[in-house]
Amino acid sequence: MTLGEQPRPVRPTVVSTTPSKPEIDPILEALDPDRSRPADVVNSQGLTLSFGNKRILSDIHIAFRRGTITALIGPTGCGKSTFLRTINRMNDKVSGFRHEGDVTLEGESIWAPRQDLLSLRRRVGMLFQRPNPFPMSIRDNVVAGVKAHQIAKGKQLDVVAEERLRQVGLWDAVKDRLKDSPFRLSGGQQQLLCLARALAVGPEVLLLDEPTSALDPISTELVEGLLRQLTPALTLIIVTHNLGQARRASDNTMFLYEGQLVEHGPTEELFERPKEARTERYVTGRMG
Amino acid sequence: MSSHALPGTGRRRFVTIGFRVGTYLSLLMIMGPVVWLLAGIVVRAVPHFSWSVLTHPTTGESGGLENAIIGTLLLMAGVLVLAGGIGILAGLHLAEYAKPRKNGKESGSLLRIASDVLSGFPSIVLGYVGYVALVLGLHWNFSLLAAWIILSVMVIPYIAKSTETALRQVPTAYREGAEALGMPPGYALRKVTLKTAAPGIVTGLLLALAIAGGETAPLIYTAGAFADSPVSMSLTHHPVPYLTFLVYGFYTLPENASHYLAYDAGLVLVVLVLVLLVAARLVVNRTQKHSEARRG
Ligand SMILES: Nc1ncnc2c1ncn2[C@@H]1O[C@H](COP(=O)(O)OP(=O)(O)OP(=O)(O)O)[C@@H](O)[C@H]1O
Ligand SMILES: [Mg+2]
Repeated sequence: MTLGEQPRPVRPTVVSTTPSKPEIDPILEALDPDRSRPADVVNSQGLTLSFGNKRILSDIHIAFRRGTITALIGPTGCGKSTFLRTINRMNDKVSGFRHEGDVTLEGESIWAPRQDLLSLRRRVGMLFQRPNPFPMSIRDNVVAGVKAHQIAKGKQLDVVAEERLRQVGLWDAVKDRLKDSPFRLSGGQQQLLCLARALAVGPEVLLLDEPTSALDPISTELVEGLLRQLTPALTLIIVTHNLGQARRASDNTMFLYEGQLVEHGPTEELFERPKEARTERYVTGRMG
Repeated sequence: MSSHALPGTGRRRFVTIGFRVGTYLSLLMIMGPVVWLLAGIVVRAVPHFSWSVLTHPTTGESGGLENAIIGTLLLMAGVLVLAGGIGILAGLHLAEYAKPRKNGKESGSLLRIASDVLSGFPSIVLGYVGYVALVLGLHWNFSLLAAWIILSVMVIPYIAKSTETALRQVPTAYREGAEALGMPPGYALRKVTLKTAAPGIVTGLLLALAIAGGETAPLIYTAGAFADSPVSMSLTHHPVPYLTFLVYGFYTLPENASHYLAYDAGLVLVVLVLVLLVAARLVVNRTQKHSEARRG
């Protein structure tokens, strides 16, 4: 569990609070040479959210820089999952759902009338706490979203499946059992399969809700290593109760407490020199 | 199985043994009658059974079962389409679309109450309703259509309930997974939800068919009670012969030949239901080879 000692690409930590910093990742530069897209992929502008009369999130202001990994930490029930599920609009159908403020994706409100919900969810993928492969073959799982969005068909699907399984490092383990049930895989492998499934539809943003809390340390390390490789092409927001994981795997950290964004900033800074007393209590293990 | 020692001693051990005995007893209570009934039919039917029974129609108070077998199959096929279609759609509505309203009441509650009330009606009452409304009221006489409708009304609540239950048991994780991938709702319903619920739905449908095939009372009022009537494809104005009437009607006739025919009819019904059961198992196994329950 010492992923911090593994070699990992050293990149300037991009902080959304100081957008004047001109340091842009070279890979990002290549992806978007004329910088036509906003640097903040997701931007929560004063998001306030309630279920019925119960206010869950209060006035959240935060921007997520393209190609970064942001850890979302905070005690249980503080609204981490709710915040995450707002971004791909999984909360919209919850009874009593109301919101003020706005969340934008690439500069456009996620609730804008011309925003198509299904393509929004294609652009904003999600990985859940418990691996949730569908009851279909391993190969069909990987391409389930691809088929639904009619991105590819026929033989192309096999190519997509192989490519994505390779990307998550699962190919060698499953290449001879693509037609088998996914439930015979280990928990960690199932989670990697779900990651492959989410990646297959080509998202820009990936939301991860405690993706490794049901996994053993070795699988956890595997998943964490993978997440790093997904940047900077993808922007990741990861909810975690594991502070070690937040420190190891993220560029920025945001600390949520009772529905309020108490503090956010570069991970190292937030853990080493927290500005708020509540943050300090939490990251030193004296709260929650 | 019980190679490991029972946990604890004294009271707890006593309770454990008590439970085990209890489960075996209840197994016996279920298996006993089944075996007894099956054996009773087989012992009485098989010794004098001749295959020609299957290929000759009933004439007077003896003969064969050909027309009754075809009649029963026709009745079941109609129920499969009519009750299966409506019942599954109703179950789908109850499980997927009847979402709770703001005031906490479910919009599906009216449908659910209606369905529950309907399932509480004695089948003979439904049969009589069919007789008054369809056979006499609409001048359909004893007919296939009247029988289909009344049998369907009888089993639709059952199919709706089993479909709803099967759909509600589909893990939220599957639904959310599909939702988060941006699958269109109808697509997710077909490819993930319905597929997962298929065994439950098929099993419910099958039991409903078996119930319909085994009914007598509502059929006497709607399909008629003429064992030797020929099978007709017309929907109205022709009575339908069916196996259960032979079981019910011929058993009390004086001639031995009639009794034999009644037992043969019972045997054919049992075989029919067994074939249905096996067929459904095969279908379920084919669609469920990737299910979570079969991870072994
Ligand atoms: N569908 C819902 N309806 C009503 N209240 C809800 C709903 N979902 C969540 N809540 C409430 O919102 C609050 C925040 O829940 P949330 O799941 O976001 O917490 P969390 O930070 O993810 O906690 P955990 O670390 O335990 O996962 C809780 O008080 C919870 O009861
Ligand atoms: Mg949560």
